[in-house]
Amino acid sequence: MAVMERRMWDLLLILTAAPHSGDVVTSALRLSQAVLDRGGSVRVWACGYANMMTQDTFGDTKLPNTRDPKGHYPSPSAVVQRMIADGEGRFGWIACTACSEERGAVHHVPQVRHRSPLRLARTIASARQTLYLGGA
Amino acid sequence: MSSTTTAAARTGLGPPVLCVLDRAYRGAVEVQFFHALYGLLDLHGQFQRVDVALRGAAVTMAVEEDVYRPSVRLGTMTLDTLPDYRGSVRDLIAEDFTVYVDRDAVTALGFAPERLVAGTICVDAAELALRWPEYDQVWFV
Repeated sequence: MAVMERRMWDLLLILTAAPHSGDVVTSALRLSQAVLDRGGSVRVWACGYANMMTQDTFGDTKLPNTRDPKGHYPSPSAVVQRMIADGEGRFGWIACTACSEERGAVHHVPQVRHRSPLRLARTIASARQTLYLGGA
Repeated sequence: MSSTTTAAARTGLGPPVLCVLDRAYRGAVEVQFFHALYGLLDLHGQFQRVDVALRGAAVTMAVEEDVYRPSVRLGTMTLDTLPDYRGSVRDLIAEDFTVYVDRDAVTALGFAPERLVAGTICVDAAELALRWPEYDQVWFV
């Protein structure tokens, strides 16, 4: 039988900055989309508070906007789910199990992979390039 | 409902507050409408007075412009619900907030004070400090 080859991703983004610290999440998603548009593959490793973004308790939409109650505002988890679906295997999102547990945020949407930080080096090794975004 | 009466009775109970904003960017895709200025708009009714002072990079929220459309394409989705900060500054003015904008920060970032959203008040840092005693509380938001 064929030898099993480990999949290589074009880019790994390690999202260490907290979402509220700046526009780091938007930057990560735009950068990911740019790579996807060029036919590449991207994986995001959510570190620290970035793990809050994919909790299944958000539902599909954000809380109602009191100034635009009929407006549609997708939740962060819905945005990630949509990118995973639209990426058709070329976009992945990894939740760090330690960071998630430390924050009591262990209920991720099912499309998110759970990975121990003990597998960080292996994850980096399976990407051609790795970028850290933000500081811890 | 009696809750309506309660809400009305509470209106304006809180002290006069000056909210100072120094940090402008705290997320976009994941935040959308739910940013600091939105929070202030909704707090308004609970306090006798809520005013805002924009300093540092936050002064850019009050720079008028109507060309750039905050929108991003992610997958098959076009997200056009990103924060509209100057729109929120216009809303603050329309709802009788006083919005101070730090002049040094505006000019340091290369903007002309004339380009600020109409109704905002461009002030020197020292002048802003002189207004603090008009408030019972100054919040660094």
